[in-house]
Amino acid sequence: MSEDLAEAAATDISAAAAGSGWKLLWASIKEERRFIIVGQIVALGWSLGRIAMPLLVQLGIDRGIEQGGSLLMWSLLIACAGLVSAVSLGLRRYVAFRNARLIESRLRDRLFAHMQRLHFSFHDANATGDLMSRANTDLQNFQDVITMIPLSTGQLVLVTGSAIIMLVIEPLLAVAALIALPLVNVLAKRFAKLLHPAIMGVQRESAELATVVEESVAGVRVVKGFGAEDVRAAALSTEANDLRHESLTASFVRSRYVPAMEVAPNIGLIAVLAYGGHLVLEGDLTVGTLVSFNIYVMLLIQPLRSLGMTVANAQRAAGAGVRISQLLAVAPQITAPSQPEHLPAANPRGRVEFSDVSFAYPGHEDDTVLDGLDLVIEAGESVALVGPTGSGKTTLASLLPRFYDADAGSIRLDGVDVRNLDPRELRGAVAIVFEETFLFQASIYENIAFADPSAPEADVRRAAALSGADEFIRDLSDGYNTLVGERGLSLSGGQRQRLSIARAILADPRVLILDDATSAVDPTKEHEIRDALGEAMASRTTIVIAHRPATIALADRVVLLDEGRIVAVGTHTDLLASNERYREVLAADSADATEGEVNA
Amino acid sequence: MGMWMAGGMAEDDKLDREATGKVLRRTIAMIRPYRRRAVGAFALLLVFSLTTLAGPLLVRRAIDDGLQVGNRTVLNQSIVAYVVVAVLAYVSFRAAIASLALVGEGFLRDLRNRVFQQMLRQSMPFYDSNNAGVLVSRMTSDVDSLQILVQLGLLMFVNATLLLIVSLITLTILNPLLLVLSMLTMPFVAAASVKFHRESNRAYLAVRDRVGTTLTSLQEGISGVRVVQAFAREEVQIDRFATTNRDLYLTHMRSVKLGAWYLPVVEMAGAASTALAVGVGGWMVRDGRISLGTVAAFVLILMAMFGPVQQLSQLFNMVQSSAASLHKLYGLLDEPVVIDSTADASPLPASGEIVLDDVSFGYVPDEPVLSGVSMTIAEGERVAFVGPTGAGKSTVAKLIARFYDPTSGTIRIGDMDLRDAAVDSLREHITVVPQEGFLFAGTIAENIRLARPEASDGEIRAALDRVGVLDVFERLPQGLDTEVQERGSRLSAGEKQLVSLARAALADPQILILDEATSSVDPGTESIVEQAMETLMQGRTVIVIAHRLSTSERCDRVAVIDAGELAELGTHDDLVAAGGHYAELFEAWTAGLTT
Repeated sequence: MSEDLAEAAATDISAAAAGSGWKLLWASIKEERRFIIVGQIVALGWSLGRIAMPLLVQLGIDRGIEQGGSLLMWSLLIACAGLVSAVSLGLRRYVAFRNARLIESRLRDRLFAHMQRLHFSFHDANATGDLMSRANTDLQNFQDVITMIPLSTGQLVLVTGSAIIMLVIEPLLAVAALIALPLVNVLAKRFAKLLHPAIMGVQRESAELATVVEESVAGVRVVKGFGAEDVRAAALSTEANDLRHESLTASFVRSRYVPAMEVAPNIGLIAVLAYGGHLVLEGDLTVGTLVSFNIYVMLLIQPLRSLGMTVANAQRAAGAGVRISQLLAVAPQITAPSQPEHLPAANPRGRVEFSDVSFAYPGHEDDTVLDGLDLVIEAGESVALVGPTGSGKTTLASLLPRFYDADAGSIRLDGVDVRNLDPRELRGAVAIVFEETFLFQASIYENIAFADPSAPEADVRRAAALSGADEFIRDLSDGYNTLVGERGLSLSGGQRQRLSIARAILADPRVLILDDATSAVDPTKEHEIRDALGEAMASRTTIVIAHRPATIALADRVVLLDEGRIVAVGTHTDLLASNERYREVLAADSADATEGEVNA
Repeated sequence: MGMWMAGGMAEDDKLDREATGKVLRRTIAMIRPYRRRAVGAFALLLVFSLTTLAGPLLVRRAIDDGLQVGNRTVLNQSIVAYVVVAVLAYVSFRAAIASLALVGEGFLRDLRNRVFQQMLRQSMPFYDSNNAGVLVSRMTSDVDSLQILVQLGLLMFVNATLLLIVSLITLTILNPLLLVLSMLTMPFVAAASVKFHRESNRAYLAVRDRVGTTLTSLQEGISGVRVVQAFAREEVQIDRFATTNRDLYLTHMRSVKLGAWYLPVVEMAGAASTALAVGVGGWMVRDGRISLGTVAAFVLILMAMFGPVQQLSQLFNMVQSSAASLHKLYGLLDEPVVIDSTADASPLPASGEIVLDDVSFGYVPDEPVLSGVSMTIAEGERVAFVGPTGAGKSTVAKLIARFYDPTSGTIRIGDMDLRDAAVDSLREHITVVPQEGFLFAGTIAENIRLARPEASDGEIRAALDRVGVLDVFERLPQGLDTEVQERGSRLSAGEKQLVSLARAALADPQILILDEATSSVDPGTESIVEQAMETLMQGRTVIVIAHRLSTSERCDRVAVIDAGELAELGTHDDLVAAGGHYAELFEAWTAGLTT
């Protein structure tokens, strides 16, 4: 299947795909079968109470009112039937929601766990918002239908039970009363079939509209800076119109079918009055029976309408189920081998070997990023990767912790092919500081200790000190307990980077990768971090992707990349002296010999 | 319904009578363009609920005047009338749904557009004081809850309400005493409803809270997945999420228990009403006070009524919470735009001269960021603002672009106070290129066109060419039509900056404010970025918020902002010669060369 889920969802969902939605539903039901059965049983109680009622009204009218029998008895019996259906109704509701919420909760756990394990290229291709909606909105639609299972059973029993009783009492009249029911069924099915794509359209357009809003709010400075309010307003207006269009399509489907389903039972009511009325006139039917038939048909309206809706909802749930199963069906590409090897315990540790590595990002196979690259980084050595944009620096660094697998060639850490290691062991041995930092909704302390929550406090503080973060953390009123992340204190880019460097240092990896990790650090602080980094780098293999010559100079060796190949290797000074291309690449940085920062 | 919990709302979100009235009036005003259709939809629903009652009444007539007295004509008349009623029911209901949808969806579209346009008109102080997530949720969850109401709830709500009213009137006309007696159980239902409302609101609060926590964890798990995997913490995060998720489940279950006792009370009350109608009604028939047909009609109408009553209690919550959503949205619409064109605003004169006169400013009152800054920037001049982080150098730029208004003092461009200038003309006149190139979903061309929507493809190419970066983007397989993915994740930081500069070139403003990126991009792109910047600056008044002295050196003058004050102002050479703060910075920078 397509890696890009959004694309897959945008294309028509074929019958086979819809099948996967039903399959997920069935599997979920089977998991909870005991309580599903309990739900069915209490639903039955409700149906029985309701079925009995019209019969008791009939007897009340015929024997109580017309023949002067005990009105009190029939009234009490009607009330008793009501009591049975009422108590069952309460139980049914409880069990139905319990099942639905439990299944929903389990599925959400599964989805979350699955997404946590899916490879980087999957996350590259799928927007956060889309994944969120699968684990949220779709899951809601999905659980809705589970709620409706006992309800639908109850209604189904009510419909068939009533039909049987009517047939027993007066077969021809029953047929006349019920003749329109198949019509409701046909209508409900057609309704569901037509409504489903319309609902999908509404969901799709809603998501697109949400994207426009999210971006505009996040990029409001840009919108203001370029005076682009009208452009964004127009973009939203387009989406709002599309959404209105899709919603109206859905509403027009409803307007055609809902009234038809609603009014169809009236055919039965008319038939009862017409045929039953003449039977009464001829003395073949009691008025009580006529009324009870009327009540039966009325009792059936709600269940029939609701059953029709159930079909529609089930259809929607199947759509949601498809989107959920699509996600669950994506197999994690980076997995542990069945018999993983282990990294040798012996020192020296951290030798990295890239042999003949080629790579292109999935979906962009024509665009080779790394092309037969060979590179050996000795244990304890620090290497700076330098090169223009798109030369493959970040990609090269991402292959070592197996964020992606190379298309050809092999990558070894301490002699072991990374594909033969359990990714957990590998990633414990290789720590990376991303260019874009990510902080969790948690305290600063927890964010640093993320790599190793059991680390002693002293180690956490030492890591913070090494990354130059300790100072600013202690200046905060809550210090290490300060809450950060989306809803916490907002830190500057440089502060965030220092925290993520601390996080990586705490992991105490064999190989430390710094992907442009000091780019946002205030130049005044970078100097301090550089010293600290020097210390952290001294004891382990380090791969640094950097642009500032001062940072590059920290590395033992510089590897110059261009178009996915290594074009030169040497020390910063050597390359500066000998390599024209290296000078070119660095020259950019404003007359690089004069590289300097405002040290305010 | 795709909602976490249909109905129920927080006590403090609930609108008082006054607020409800306001929401109602405002909504009526907003549906003005659709008022005929709205009235039509209401009338059609009224017709539909009358047809629902017509059935039992026709049965009554058939029994009393036809069956009981052996009159076949009356029976036949009733049957024909019933057929007419059924047709009328279908036609009116169908037209009602379509009309209501047209009104509702039209209203929602207008609401979305107006709220979003209002949000965009708001100035920076608004964005500083409102959490981005909350703003987004106004346009998504709040409007979505209204969408659900429009698609399903409103129709049911209006229909059920009308049916209830019409039924009660009809039953009163038929026999008030029987109505009162058969409704004896109503007080219990009412008491139960009050209790249910109170408790379900409390439960709703708890659910909403847990839903928020769960969604936050979910989002964090997805957006932070790379970090999680990089440190092999998947299993821990999964466990943590499971705890949050379990908590949500338990909270849901507590709220489910409420419905589980309330609905049976309503169901039982319905059955009791039928029992009373048969018992009491039967006794009245025996006494000759009412006809058998009336009892039958009572039983049938009461049954038709209880379904809607049961729905109403749930729908009422839905309507209430939609009203609360509307209240919030209208609140957003009413929020004054701090920085807006005055009534007699005129376009900014075509000048690049900027005069700051004793300008002071603070984001928060009592915390001045700038105090008493005065300076004049000549047309076509390039001025670099330098100074330590937090000293106020970017604040000056934000004031010149009128992202904020000064607390005291004035800023004039071409001798016009910015506060007197039309905001539109100001945005055309001044372009701010932010530090980081922020991209929107769409193609590169669309992203550049942001600066001037009517620009042709040719003009976009020309703009790119002007700053010398056309080939950077044409090299891409789909060229300028390359889709940048979520927040431009497919382009490098440098490429994003280039898009940003191309936007500025397309905007072609008289005054350009460049916020130099603190983070360096890779050297290859960096040189292109610098050249592009240089070209872009030509022939304009330029303010650069400089982070590198190499940049300030190339400017005509340098303004050193320190602790909110204009500490030094002069040419690079003069300031270096003067031996002040800037000279110190420069010295440190020169020293940096040798390290």
